[in-house]
Amino acid sequence: MTSLLATTVAIPDVIVFAAGAVMIMIGALGVITSRNPVHAALSLILTLFGIAVLFIEQQADFLAAVQVIVYAGAIVVLFLFVIMFLGVDRNEDLDAEPLAGQRSMAFVIVLMAVGAIIALGAEAHWVVGPHSVSGVPGGPYQNVYNLGRSVFTTYLFAFEATAALLVIAVVGAVVLARRSGAANAEQPDGQPENEEVAS
Amino acid sequence: MTSLFVAAGDPLYASGLNWITLVIVLIKIIFSFAVCMGAVTLMIWFERKVISDMQSRIGPNRAGPFGLLQTLADGIKLFFKEDLIPEQSDRFVFKLAPYLSVVPALVIFAVVPFGGVVTIAGRSIDLQVADPPIGILLVLAMSAIGVYGIMLAGWASGSKYPLLSGVRASAQMISYEAALGMTVVTVVMMTGSLSTRAIVNSQAGAIWHWNLIRLGFIPAIIFIIAVIAETNRPPFDVVEAESELVGGFNTEYSSIRFALFYLAEFMNTITMSAVIVTLFFGGPDGYNPFGHYGSIFMPIVWFVVKTIAFCYFFVWLRGALPRMRYDKLMDLGWKRLIPVSLGWLLIVAGFMVNGWWGVGLALAVIAAGFGLARAFKIGADLEDRDQAVLPPVGRRPVPPRLLRRLTDGDPQGGVQ
Amino acid sequence: MSRSALVGHEGAMEVVEIKTVDQYLPVLGLIILGVLFAAGSFVASGLLAPRKKATAAKVAPYECGIVADVEPPQRFPVRFYLVAMIFIIFDIEVVFLYPFAVVFRQLGAFGLVEILVFSVVVFASLVFLVSNGALTWGPVKRLTKGMPSRSSDSTIARITADSASDQAA
Repeated sequence: MTSLLATTVAIPDVIVFAAGAVMIMIGALGVITSRNPVHAALSLILTLFGIAVLFIEQQADFLAAVQVIVYAGAIVVLFLFVIMFLGVDRNEDLDAEPLAGQRSMAFVIVLMAVGAIIALGAEAHWVVGPHSVSGVPGGPYQNVYNLGRSVFTTYLFAFEATAALLVIAVVGAVVLARRSGAANAEQPDGQPENEEVAS
Repeated sequence: MTSLFVAAGDPLYASGLNWITLVIVLIKIIFSFAVCMGAVTLMIWFERKVISDMQSRIGPNRAGPFGLLQTLADGIKLFFKEDLIPEQSDRFVFKLAPYLSVVPALVIFAVVPFGGVVTIAGRSIDLQVADPPIGILLVLAMSAIGVYGIMLAGWASGSKYPLLSGVRASAQMISYEAALGMTVVTVVMMTGSLSTRAIVNSQAGAIWHWNLIRLGFIPAIIFIIAVIAETNRPPFDVVEAESELVGGFNTEYSSIRFALFYLAEFMNTITMSAVIVTLFFGGPDGYNPFGHYGSIFMPIVWFVVKTIAFCYFFVWLRGALPRMRYDKLMDLGWKRLIPVSLGWLLIVAGFMVNGWWGVGLALAVIAAGFGLARAFKIGADLEDRDQAVLPPVGRRPVPPRLLRRLTDGDPQGGVQ
Repeated sequence: MSRSALVGHEGAMEVVEIKTVDQYLPVLGLIILGVLFAAGSFVASGLLAPRKKATAAKVAPYECGIVADVEPPQRFPVRFYLVAMIFIIFDIEVVFLYPFAVVFRQLGAFGLVEILVFSVVVFASLVFLVSNGALTWGPVKRLTKGMPSRSSDSTIARITADSASDQAA
């Protein structure tokens, strides 16, 4: 019984990685080249899926599931809500630059980022090799279990602080929605009464 | 040691990937795909037949014995129908949406264990298409993706009714996903694992090991309600409320594109019934009077019987209940199901530690419930006092005549 | 006896590490099969369906037979966005609960206290939302202050009055 995965450079791993990488690249290109914002958002979903595939390839399948549930299932839904149902789903005018010189700046920043990544990689001697972050091999539910243990013992304070952060987010969302509602307050109530006076 | 191994994943892949494994995987995939398609065909016939019985009609009875081939006939007919793409539509998204509806519905079935473990030629094979360590999260992830199918179909049609339906559907589905997730947490807490096989194994043996009873009925009820809302089935089918929205999100779809949405809807009903059975009703667990050979086929029989029971339950709900109003639907999701599932989760957690914690938490949850009721009251009063803060959905200008009548006071006015 | 068979039996003493990626192979297979099925249906429909040029009426947005003169709504109430935003937050909260649920038995009372603190915070945000009316979807209860509230009696009275005035006119 020969195992294809027993060798150090596993071909399926390479294939999975390549598939994930291609999904990410196509999605990313779609996000920046689509003229229609809805298509851009859909490309973003493809990118997020590609990242989930890479997570699975790294044996971090809980993170992969969370990636799909939270990012693809909630955050992009909000994006699409705003794009589709707020009437901004028309093609963007790419000539209008809201920020002066943003294109040249983007170019410089990308160059710097790539340079930083290359520098970091060269410094760390391009870490390659077997998976080293999946915790104790053979344990039950390796990554979910280990993740749970770390979050709920070592990083307990950070976890409870996250809860507080989420409450702040709730308050923020409501306050923002209230403000936009209050801006045109009274109008819907006032209108029919005026009509009545007129008739 | 045994417990470690139970959790280690599908034993099929223990020796790595080789061609025998691949063949088994392929057989499983094709088998489950065929079963899904066949089940959907039967489910559509079943629903129509049962509904007709409940409404004192005969229902489909022409194609095949008892009208069994009716679905097939309808499907074949739809292949021959004109495939229209509305001019106002976004063509790419319009074509993409049916895929996003069908594929998640199909994938959910992959993690449902529909039988026990059989041993063929020295290999133990789980009767389940896939058993990834995060099994149940795959169900939630796919139902999250299922939102896109409806949302995009509604938007891409470029028409009013589908758009309204898409907005409603996506808000409804995401609202119930939170409650769905919390009840799943309760189950996972009991099992200590996210794998569906482990969840089923932990319920095996006797009826009082089922999560339905171990977790005290409430999570199962909440999960079933949330599933009905997730699948947009009656009484929560405001998405395709035909009296308001014509056909809902698929109004503009014709031919086979429409058929795929229809297929996805019924496939979701079946797979979610199977998920309910897996999480709360012991999956393939059940009485086996036939000894060794029974241990192979009886689990499958039990699984099928339980799943059909839930399919019937969903059809029954459709026959019995009127459609729920949208605001009541959202209220049920956010203001009832989420707090109740959170409170119940804490109570179960308390009783898992020990009885005193459990009783204490139960009291705390009841107290919190009173607090929340007070908050409801404050919120409702706020709405009365300061309506303009968040304009309610569906506000229309009131016709002057009606307004005059209402503002002039005296509801008895005009009656002599 | 092969290793996999050993693993399959009760009381196996050997724990075999199973690569995670392999377990998603059937999922990938089902996705491919689903896409192929849908694509195949479209191809078949393309071959079998009548190839007529669709008339303008057929490709117009469906309006129950009336020619549409109003564009579809461009904006929806802020409440829908609010729900989507709040959902993200609750979703993240639930996601934290999954690893907790997996390790809960090992953590015991300590874990219970942890999750109690977390739940109190979640509950507080829910109370805040509810008491601010952020989750209230209901129709307007009263049109203006001091107006009589509607009941079935008042509606019957009003309709009677309506028909009486119609007959008079």
